[in-house]
Amino acid sequence: MTEVKRIDPRGPRFGAGITSALSLASFAMSLQFGFVAGHPLMVALFVLFAWSVLFPKTHPYQFIFQKLVRPRLQEPTELEDPRPPQFAQKVGFAFAILGTIGGLFLSILIPVAAAFIFIAAFLNAFFGFCLGCQMYLGLRRFGIIR
Amino acid sequence: METSLIATLGLLAFGVIGGVIFKFLQGKGRRVSSREIIDLGKLNAKNNELPITEYGKKATLVQFSTQYCGQCPGVKRTLSQLEYRLGGLRFAEVDITERLDVAAHFNISQTPTVFLLDEDGHLIYRMGGVPKMNQLMEELQKLGVK
Repeated sequence: MTEVKRIDPRGPRFGAGITSALSLASFAMSLQFGFVAGHPLMVALFVLFAWSVLFPKTHPYQFIFQKLVRPRLQEPTELEDPRPPQFAQKVGFAFAILGTIGGLFLSILIPVAAAFIFIAAFLNAFFGFCLGCQMYLGLRRFGIIR
Repeated sequence: METSLIATLGLLAFGVIGGVIFKFLQGKGRRVSSREIIDLGKLNAKNNELPITEYGKKATLVQFSTQYCGQCPGVKRTLSQLEYRLGGLRFAEVDITERLDVAAHFNISQTPTVFLLDEDGHLIYRMGGVPKMNQLMEELQKLGVK
């Protein structure tokens, strides 16, 4: 196993807080006003997840956390491996693809994808559970991911 | 308006209830009746990065981890400290990131999963998620670990 640079675990949780707010908004807007209102928010989530999967170091969540949030917090008690949250971002990205592309053909997929993203992000932000990381093995064993 | 509001509040409530249940179930242990002997050598178990084959004089804790598991390093640290503090206890860790056969054999779908073995290496108790320490201590005391 190669050494990886460890990160402040509150960074991903801060990002998950914003993601849960955006996904809940996309869910509510798509149900209330339909495709026109829900889809742009889903596209925003798609872009944010894609950014986080492809260029995690330059992600805006990371920037806001480093510049504005972390200086106001105490030093972290421990640092964590960045791979679990990166894996979780990929799971989120998969759902955002479903909502963004699938939503073009079947608009019900927007609130469905938004609901899944919300639950995973909400559990991460407010309960400290990384659903995707924890279920990684289960997902692989049942062939859902390779 | 009302239906989408109710659905949104429902989703939010689902997240909160899900988080509370998850927290409650997390790390809860259960007895195992098969009494299968766990071969540490075959599993390629490690203690402090070194291979381990011997069981503890009274009990052994085996932690299954993956590289994507955010909570595994913290649990490993806690259990290693227990090994150091308590007499007759040994700790071993098995990385199953690429070993789905092992995960399938023991029906492991989340990490960390911790097995408690008796002095002869029989599996007698298992915990999925971050172990509840009071439960674990109770089980260890039954095996004479103090």
